[in-house]
Amino acid sequence: MNLLWVVLLPLIGTLVPLLTDRYGRNLCTFSAAILPAWSLALVLMYAGDVFDGQDIRQSIEWIPAMGLDLSFRLDGLSLLFLLLILGIGLLVILYARYYLSAKDSMGQFYAYLILFMSAMVGIVISNNLIQLWMFWELTSISSFLLISFWSHKSEARKGARMALTVTGAGGLALLAGLLLIGSIVDSYDLDTVLANGDLIRSHATYPIALILVLIGAFTKSAQFPFHFWLPHAMAAPTPVSAYLHSATMVKAGIFLMARFYPALAGTDLWFIIVSLTGLTTLLLGAYIALFKHDLKGLLAYSTISHLGLITLLLGLNSELAAVAAVFHIINHAIFKASLFMAAGIIDHESGSRDMRKLNGLLKYMPYTATLAIVAALSMAGVPLLNGFLSKEMFFAETLNQSILGSLSWMIPLLATVGAAFSVAYSLRFIHDVFFNGEPIDLPKTPKEPPRYMKVPVEILVALCLLVGIFPAFVVEDLLNIASSAVLLHASPAYNLAIWHGFNWPLFMSALAMVGGVTIYYNRRLLFQFQSHFEETDAKHVFEGVVQAIVDFSQRIIRFFENGSLQRYAFILILFSLLMAAFPLLDLTQSRGSRPQIPLDGVAVMGAFLMIFSAIATVIWHRKRFIALIFLSVVGLIVSLVFAQFSAPDLALTQLSVEIVTIILLLLALFFLPQSTQKESSYRRMSLDLLVSVLLGCVIGTICFAILTSPLNTISDFFIANSKTGGGGTNVVNVILVDFRGFDTLGEIVVLGIAALGIFKLIAKMRIYIPTRDDKGRPWGNDPHPMMFELVSQSLLPLALLVSVYIFLRGHNMPGGGFIAGLITAVAIIQQYIAHGVLWIKPRVKIDYQWLIAGGILIAMATGLGSWLFDKPFLSTWFDYFDLPWVGEFELASAMLFDLGVYLTVVGAVMLILANLGKLTTSERLEIKENS
Amino acid sequence: MEGVYALCVGILTTCGFFLVLRARTFTVVIGLTLISYAVNLFLFASGRLKLDGAAVLGQSAEYADPLPQALVLTAIVIGFAMTAFVVILAMRSRADLGNDHVDGQVPEDVIAQQTKVSASDKRNG
Amino acid sequence: MQHLPILPILLPMLVAVLMLLPPFTNSINRQRLFAVSAMIILIITSALLLLTSHEQGTQIYILGGWQPPFGIALVADRLSTLMVLLTSVLGLGAQLYACAGEDKEGMYFHPLFMFQIMGVNGAFLTGDIFNLFVFFEVLLIASYALLIHGGGKQKTKANVHYVILNLIGSSIFLFALGILYGTIGSLNIEDMANKVPLLGEHQQALAKAGGLLLLVVFGLKAALLPLHFWLPKTYAAASAPVAALFAIMTKVGIYSILRVHMTIFGEDAGALASIAVPWLWPLAFLTIIMGAIGVLASPSLRLTAANLVIVSVGTLLLAIAMQREAATSAALYYMIHTTLVTGALFMIADLISKQRGKAEDRFVIARKMNHEKLIGIAFFIAALTVVGMPPFSGFIGKILILQAAEGMTEIVWVWPAVLLAGLACLVAISRAGTTIFWRSTGESTSAESISPLKIIAIALLLSASPLLVVFGDPVTDYTNLTAAQLHDRTPANEFTHTGGDQ
Repeated sequence: MNLLWVVLLPLIGTLVPLLTDRYGRNLCTFSAAILPAWSLALVLMYAGDVFDGQDIRQSIEWIPAMGLDLSFRLDGLSLLFLLLILGIGLLVILYARYYLSAKDSMGQFYAYLILFMSAMVGIVISNNLIQLWMFWELTSISSFLLISFWSHKSEARKGARMALTVTGAGGLALLAGLLLIGSIVDSYDLDTVLANGDLIRSHATYPIALILVLIGAFTKSAQFPFHFWLPHAMAAPTPVSAYLHSATMVKAGIFLMARFYPALAGTDLWFIIVSLTGLTTLLLGAYIALFKHDLKGLLAYSTISHLGLITLLLGLNSELAAVAAVFHIINHAIFKASLFMAAGIIDHESGSRDMRKLNGLLKYMPYTATLAIVAALSMAGVPLLNGFLSKEMFFAETLNQSILGSLSWMIPLLATVGAAFSVAYSLRFIHDVFFNGEPIDLPKTPKEPPRYMKVPVEILVALCLLVGIFPAFVVEDLLNIASSAVLLHASPAYNLAIWHGFNWPLFMSALAMVGGVTIYYNRRLLFQFQSHFEETDAKHVFEGVVQAIVDFSQRIIRFFENGSLQRYAFILILFSLLMAAFPLLDLTQSRGSRPQIPLDGVAVMGAFLMIFSAIATVIWHRKRFIALIFLSVVGLIVSLVFAQFSAPDLALTQLSVEIVTIILLLLALFFLPQSTQKESSYRRMSLDLLVSVLLGCVIGTICFAILTSPLNTISDFFIANSKTGGGGTNVVNVILVDFRGFDTLGEIVVLGIAALGIFKLIAKMRIYIPTRDDKGRPWGNDPHPMMFELVSQSLLPLALLVSVYIFLRGHNMPGGGFIAGLITAVAIIQQYIAHGVLWIKPRVKIDYQWLIAGGILIAMATGLGSWLFDKPFLSTWFDYFDLPWVGEFELASAMLFDLGVYLTVVGAVMLILANLGKLTTSERLEIKENS
Repeated sequence: MEGVYALCVGILTTCGFFLVLRARTFTVVIGLTLISYAVNLFLFASGRLKLDGAAVLGQSAEYADPLPQALVLTAIVIGFAMTAFVVILAMRSRADLGNDHVDGQVPEDVIAQQTKVSASDKRNG
Repeated sequence: MQHLPILPILLPMLVAVLMLLPPFTNSINRQRLFAVSAMIILIITSALLLLTSHEQGTQIYILGGWQPPFGIALVADRLSTLMVLLTSVLGLGAQLYACAGEDKEGMYFHPLFMFQIMGVNGAFLTGDIFNLFVFFEVLLIASYALLIHGGGKQKTKANVHYVILNLIGSSIFLFALGILYGTIGSLNIEDMANKVPLLGEHQQALAKAGGLLLLVVFGLKAALLPLHFWLPKTYAAASAPVAALFAIMTKVGIYSILRVHMTIFGEDAGALASIAVPWLWPLAFLTIIMGAIGVLASPSLRLTAANLVIVSVGTLLLAIAMQREAATSAALYYMIHTTLVTGALFMIADLISKQRGKAEDRFVIARKMNHEKLIGIAFFIAALTVVGMPPFSGFIGKILILQAAEGMTEIVWVWPAVLLAGLACLVAISRAGTTIFWRSTGESTSAESISPLKIIAIALLLSASPLLVVFGDPVTDYTNLTAAQLHDRTPANEFTHTGGDQ
């Protein structure tokens, strides 16, 4: 799996500089370079096979579920890019060694740089769409880190964010596009995709897929209208610019178009979009570049323009154009990298990049100047330099295309214009910086850089010359295999000569030269003309847009999430109303077939009383005490209803819970305002009323429909098995402690947790004790009336006795642990009320918290006991015994379980009420955190 | 009988939800309690109504559906636990936030309205 | 080992109860030791349970030996065991983080925490719909109590809303249960599923109302629009470990929707087949949009994380609404990823806010942080994961969901929603990160050091992100099988006829 190593080595290499950082700059640089160099060596090893025309494929399955394999290919195109990425990458590493200042963390820088390098490598050798996208996004992330390397600078942060956002958005579009393509050919394997070009192009979703993929490519390659991020990426350290904007980042988009050329190109849609975008970008970039005073700014726009040129070539409807595109990819990478490095040197040695200050540097740094001038001439496309050749091919191709129909003649014309501008800004770069008088108040006097800082530039410039003079000898083979990889077949015949005789392309070049010189000569006029438009800073526009979006979303959120519980509750209730109401529309009539029970007077009376007091509760809800009384009346009648419809257990439970609840509410009312002032607007009132009435009607209807419809249920089973299987005749109780004992277990846990939570609430509560109610009447100052004390004290044993009785009979008669527990609790509470905490404290020495825990523990243990008999949790056991005097009695594990319930209930209720009671006394301080 | 029963459930529900939609914690608690009554009755009704059915074996041939009764019992207990918690929470929020409004503060518009009302009261009385 | 399925419920329960008694109740250190070791055992148990049900098929535990549909049965199938395992892992993370000190800021932290775990596990495991209600209440009451842990106005305020809304929810739950029992006459989910197709016309309409009311309840838990309002402030107010644990709470809602609306009202429920889906589509879509808007609008990292939860909820429900095996599987993968990473994000937000003085975790210029590098790396990984950028788990979940939508007409809004939400998160989080980490003034003044426990906790949860990618194949295999099991109910519902050991 050696191809894997080509990407894996640099990936591992990301960590190396971080480790070697502390051992000095040289070692750090050297160690950082090792692994990438190794991977380059690997590539060169393979190069032979590729040149012999045998591409290499290797893959291992990774996540088949999403069609993601680790799948690699090495063909001409990949090889070409690998050479550029790794080669120039290594040069940049060397260059950065001298560029970075002592303050910059070198290890971090190299780490980011090499991470980025690995991502690029990954893109160009991917043979799987999703894997390709993965590395694509990785470049966005790592470039974000590189651009924001000087994160203390605002423009670095903003530039980085802009690049990330634009390319990230592009990445998402690309993902969608790739997934579409994948679903068309039903595979994410690149070979399959490229092989099925016709299928893709003829598919209905082709236009969408194409546009999505192109958005991805254009954003990365800074094509109009997405070009704005690139100049602001110049906030990065120059080595980064030299790398990202010559050979790598921006070339990724170009690579993508070249890669998918066989699959996506060949339709008018492709040609129109790609060529026109390219042309616009070419002209725009070339024009703006001329007006940039910042060296890097000029280079940035020239990059944009050259990328436009390549894009245009890919959009021209001919195979030779594709070849020319590949060729220009190489050339641009070489001369642009060297130019950025040169610019970096100048910046580094003179402390400025402003061409209005930088003048006549030739005599200060003659050697660097020469290199830079050669590179710039190559950019201008002067003969004997590599830039010239690819531009000749470009001109030639613009001549034999017909994409604009009868308007096609405009393309060569505009191409020449663009070329003229590129000549002009190249001239400006040369003349302004190296000639044109003396430097103007530079921070420091320029000098030649350290020896090895020039080496990378020398190498690249040498390449410019070699390619320029002996093209056939130097690049022809590479160009052949690369372009045949783009076209999927042998590239058409072409002749890489410097001299093709007198022909149109030559004439156009000449024209461009002359035009360029004239433009530069009359630049004052142009600058004046340009000065009429004030320059918009894309950074501010972008930030503005984002800010606007954020503000807008904040307005929306503020509108919806206004923090009013009443609204949220209203929405919740309304939503429930809709959900419950819609199905009822299909219900032709609510009355079912079940025979109904005839009315009797008592029931009517009860119903009337209940309805009355319910409504009364609402009407007097501002007078809280009165509301409470009516509420308790409702509660009482509810328990009567249960009794009426043969549910004695429910009746008892409801009754006892009712009492405790009311005590609780009364205690709470002591601390809360006794009345509510009127504050809801009538509109809200009526809305609320409307919704709740509707919901009431719906619930009532459903209730009626259910009551009147027959039901076949599982309940007969319980009645049948209650005695035989559960050992109890009180079916409800047996269900609670046996059939559905697990529910009960959960239920007492809930009770226990509630008690704990409430204690938690009380413990940190700093509430003041009102001495008088809100009418100003003082609360009674005799808290424990004599009479009451005596009565309650004598009642206590009685109450306990009752609860024991209720508990014991529970299994066979209405009753049970829960009710017993409540009765006990109420009895003890009564003591609290009667005697007060001080009196109770020494007498009742139980920690209610332990009571709760113990209760749950017992219930659990009962359930676990059945494990001993290899029965599932909560399996019950019971048997009948006969004792003298006592007579026959039953023992059942369920009783133990019920005991647990009993204890928990007592503990919980006491923990709540006792501590709440304490709040009213001086004991309140005693309530402390015990953890 | 069923009709009346359903009517009661409906009205309890209405009253409960109306009170839950009010702005003060205590009122909301009362509302929730009313709702829980309604819920229990409703759940109970899912077993249909039996006038003199037996819940205990051997009392009569007719049995009321015991399962819903068991469910309601559980529901009552859990309901009690929840009511208790929310009541104390209401006290806590009064203690922490100084008022008993469900949002922890009285909205401006309401304050303005109240001052107007009280002013008019003064004029009248 | 026949009792394995119930252990994830009993173990935390037992531990919680014991911690209320001596010798634990008065020593926080004993509690910590006990709780953490118990949680590790719980993880092992859950893993065992998952393997068992994976290899030997669905485990059904019949409580009290009472045959379903009469008794309560626990159903440990691939889905529930997965959720249980997920819960315990998240739980361990949150717990470790709390042990660094948060657990001392109020009483009963560890017992309540364990009760919460018990409730969540119970909700995942139970096969009985009323029992589901009971466990909902357990986990809710525990969460109410945990939410106020640490005290403070914000918590109280948020808790009032949270509690009242959920109490309304609970009563609606009971209404729904009443309707369902009153029409179907059973409580066991499988049994109900078998009986629903046989309902008469009259019953059908009622049962439908019941089913939709349940959707409201679960939607409220899951924070489905328009029932999501409670979530952002609640999660932002909760103390870090609690917020992290709450990352599973929304999933309980989603899980219940999967369970109830794909089993009882699943594809083969006759006239009541997939009644929830027509509502899920638009609501899930709007939830994503709203969540994304919320992410953009968030002024602080906690709120961002909270809104990210909403986005993930929307995405999950969108996938569920597709009602395709592939989609469900994708949703499950996404669920694992999002639960763990959101948990970590809440903790990171807490670390940050503890280091930046008054600025806390708001996106404003503040003093430099002490352990900038460490926190920065953690944040960077978490951010890439939640935004869905490679090489971390986020992108896999996203792509799986996108792929699942291929060939549906709904693709025209599923894809834009998911992708644009991703972009919104990218914009918001890159702004957040650059502000918090790079726009700092001066040097850090506080010597606020980070407890190693917190680092371990965050590392534990974050490690899921790369691991889910590296082991993407086995994980997706499992989720595929789970989805398959969920979509054809034949293997699971046998037990209602055969039954377990009596």
